[in-house]
Amino acid sequence: MSDFLEVTDVFTHFETPRGQVRAVDGVTFTLERGKTLGIVGESGSGKTILSRTIMGLLPTRGTVRGGTIRYKGEEIQGRAPSEMRDIWGKQMAMIFQDPMSSLNPLMKIGMQIAEPLIHNLDMPKDQALATAKRLLDDVRIPESVKRLNQYPHELSGGMRQRVMIAIALACGPNLLLADEPTTALDVTVQAQILDLLREQRQDRNMSMILVTHDLGVVAGHTDEIAVMYGGKIVEKAPTDGLFKNMLMPYTAALLESIPKMNRPSHTRLTTIPGRPPDLVSPPAGCRFAPRCPAAQERCHSEEPPLSSAGSPGHVYACWYPVGSPVYREAIERRAKETV
Amino acid sequence: MSAITKKRDWPTVLAAAWLIGLTILAFTADYLPFIRGYAESSPEGIGFSKGPFTSFLLGSDQLGRDVFARCIYGAQISLRIALFSIIIGTVVGGTLGMVAGFFGKASDRAISAFTDVMLAFPPIVIAILVTGRFDALRKNSEAFSWLSRTWSITFVLSILAIAPLARIVRAQTLSISQREFVLAARSLGARNGRVLVREILPNLVPAMVSVIFTGVAVLLIAEGGLAFLGYSIELPTPTWGRLIAENRNFIREAWWGTIMPCVMLFATVLSFNVLGDRIARRFDIREAAL
Amino acid sequence: MAGTGKAHLRSGDALLRVEDLVVEFPVGRTGLKVNAVSGISFDVMRGETLGIVGESGCGKSTTGRGIMQLPSPNSGAVVFNGQDLSQLTGSDMREARTKIQMIFQDPISSLNPRRKVRDIVKEPLDIWKRGTSAEQDARVDKVLEDVGIDPQRAAESQPHQFSGGQCQRISIARSLVLDPSLIICDEPVSALDVSVQAQVLNLLEDLKAAYGLTMIFIAHDLAVVKNISDRVAVMYLGKLCEVATSDDLYRRPAHHYTKVLLDSIPVPDPSRPVAHGRIEGEPPSPVLPPTGCRFHTRCPAASDRCRNEEPQMRDVGDNHFVACHHPAWGGDAPVSITR
Repeated sequence: MSDFLEVTDVFTHFETPRGQVRAVDGVTFTLERGKTLGIVGESGSGKTILSRTIMGLLPTRGTVRGGTIRYKGEEIQGRAPSEMRDIWGKQMAMIFQDPMSSLNPLMKIGMQIAEPLIHNLDMPKDQALATAKRLLDDVRIPESVKRLNQYPHELSGGMRQRVMIAIALACGPNLLLADEPTTALDVTVQAQILDLLREQRQDRNMSMILVTHDLGVVAGHTDEIAVMYGGKIVEKAPTDGLFKNMLMPYTAALLESIPKMNRPSHTRLTTIPGRPPDLVSPPAGCRFAPRCPAAQERCHSEEPPLSSAGSPGHVYACWYPVGSPVYREAIERRAKETV
Repeated sequence: MSAITKKRDWPTVLAAAWLIGLTILAFTADYLPFIRGYAESSPEGIGFSKGPFTSFLLGSDQLGRDVFARCIYGAQISLRIALFSIIIGTVVGGTLGMVAGFFGKASDRAISAFTDVMLAFPPIVIAILVTGRFDALRKNSEAFSWLSRTWSITFVLSILAIAPLARIVRAQTLSISQREFVLAARSLGARNGRVLVREILPNLVPAMVSVIFTGVAVLLIAEGGLAFLGYSIELPTPTWGRLIAENRNFIREAWWGTIMPCVMLFATVLSFNVLGDRIARRFDIREAAL
Repeated sequence: MAGTGKAHLRSGDALLRVEDLVVEFPVGRTGLKVNAVSGISFDVMRGETLGIVGESGCGKSTTGRGIMQLPSPNSGAVVFNGQDLSQLTGSDMREARTKIQMIFQDPISSLNPRRKVRDIVKEPLDIWKRGTSAEQDARVDKVLEDVGIDPQRAAESQPHQFSGGQCQRISIARSLVLDPSLIICDEPVSALDVSVQAQVLNLLEDLKAAYGLTMIFIAHDLAVVKNISDRVAVMYLGKLCEVATSDDLYRRPAHHYTKVLLDSIPVPDPSRPVAHGRIEGEPPSPVLPPTGCRFHTRCPAASDRCRNEEPQMRDVGDNHFVACHHPAWGGDAPVSITR
């Protein structure tokens, strides 16, 4: 199979005064060169921690890590920062949600882009600045020559995120991790940034991991989607397949709870009762069981494994998936009770 | 939170024990025979200097007075001055800061200008002006007979405390007033006074407490500095600053006379800082839990 | 697009009527000003929900606060229940404000972190000395139960012991306790997770019916606004672009900006082609807004007329109002001879 990025049984636990928080708890997936994987989940699902674990960006103190992360066949899990330095920038790069706090407010845009070129690729300064200008053109920042000498506060939020993307792209990474890259931006700008990311990924034959809470964002911009809940992947499928056939009740409920444009106003929204699980002492069995409309006894005691759905690449973790007789019966019974 | 406090925090315990012990000793000194009698005169006569851990716990000074006893009496005065001045400083500075931060505009400009001037004023000039003026007042007027040197020094120090406190409180008030719960309270029809007391003040407390603790420590040192320069209370009552100042000429023969009050001052200032730091962190946990 | 013009104001039983609202903020001591809201008018009928949408910086939140007179607008009338709030002072103003309540975006910041939740909810009754202590307690318990918070737990806990969604419920309880007639919701669900967002939206609909409320719902998420509103007003750079009933606005947007906004929303459906109604760039600065129609710098249909003459709000049929010279439908605006 693919040997670009293989993540196998990865877990990341944090030591806290309350006990161990199992933020990422046994995640497995592979990613091929040139493809985009969307990781979707609500806050506390472990999606951000997972992306930082892959990048090797977590503090070592108080963190328990396990499993293997193989990048181009090489094990990178547990590497010291000094060893990761060869990978950061040149092989993997990351963009974050808040473009303002990820830029140095006292350094000119040009130098911020040129810096990794000078340090990682030993480029002379003038050549690095020329490359920086070209990168600004690539990310569609108008008047790129003028921008080189500007400071971050002189740019709008969308422009700053473009600069962040330019910095991430500077050393030609093969894998781009985008952690909620458009959440802080307005819709019109979000659309522009997502288009830009897609275009750059295609031009450079990069792989991308797009972490977001927004099912709408992943729908149009990924090849494959992994849905996370309570530190685990609960369903993973090619994007088209997932939206056509959601099997995990959580995925279905998440989609249902979003207000839709094509429904008349005042349509009653389907809600997911309760709250996400406490990852210090997660519920036994399926972690979604306490909130699941179709949960049976078995769901509360036995944890469902990721099993294949039949169609290629589609896996889900549920004993009674959407559409199964037990699920349908449970939903019908529930509907009767509420009426 | 209980899991954090399980491990005993020795610096905090020691600091608290030191301050509590010292305060009790200082304010009961008049009733403790082993301190009271020894502060002014010595059973072993004048003119000797005995080292520490002899018949005197911390040695005796040139006049044969017990250094330990004088240090404890010094603590009484020094702590009283520091505490009173921080209270005055907090009340006046805090009020000014809240007014400036909450109402802004002209009040803010006036108060900010005032604190700027205060901060730029050399403390020694204020000390000279205030002590001189107060001494004159006391002598000339019956109504001001209570205005002892202790009060003069307290006022000088509280003036020093007002400006920094006002600045910190102003900045805090400004940022708290922009929080939405303040807007919510106003939209519910709360009057300004109520908003200040109920919504803003409780949120000022954490920052204030840590500033107050650090402030006491700074004022203790300032008191020492003023005494060292000769601006202290009436003779022969000791303060730490005066003890350090009056014994420093004999530091070769009797180092304990200077060093022991220095150690006391050091331990007390350190204890206040440690406690202030811990208390601030305690409040922080609640904020971090958000 | 100009909000100038009041063709969309209705006659009849309006609970709130805002006319020519202007809010400006000075920029430091430069003598320049931010034109946050530049003369907008709208009305809200009793029992109606008006949605206000727009991107960040368009002045939608400032409008909400302007209605509350926090701070007082620079000019314009805010007629609530037949009373012009901008003319009131002191205790009359405080009294009038109790009939209008606000719910804010950040559920945690809008609750005083150092008070017990029950006291926070009781505070309004305490300020106005409504009823005896027992009556107050009964009222607080009822409202807390209505929003789904256990009164017992509220008496013992501070805000940080509740989740974001629960804090938002507590804010809602506080706003209801004085029995207001108008609730202004300023981005009440944008800080919440999708599954919790649906719970809060449903709750708002239920409470609106139970308490006989009129609502202004301010948000940047068009799908959310569409779902909850009867009528929607679109704002851009301190002006109104378009006002129409919720379903009509989404079915056939007339203003080009509305169209762009709708096309930019990522739809959670990969089979829908990605729309290409993108616009370049970002909104200009509200310090020096463009002349004429404020949208002309980014509008695909802009003409010379748009650069010079500010369009007026006009009826294009079926209760659909647009401030545009060349709308997507409904015909060009008649050329005005004056000016």
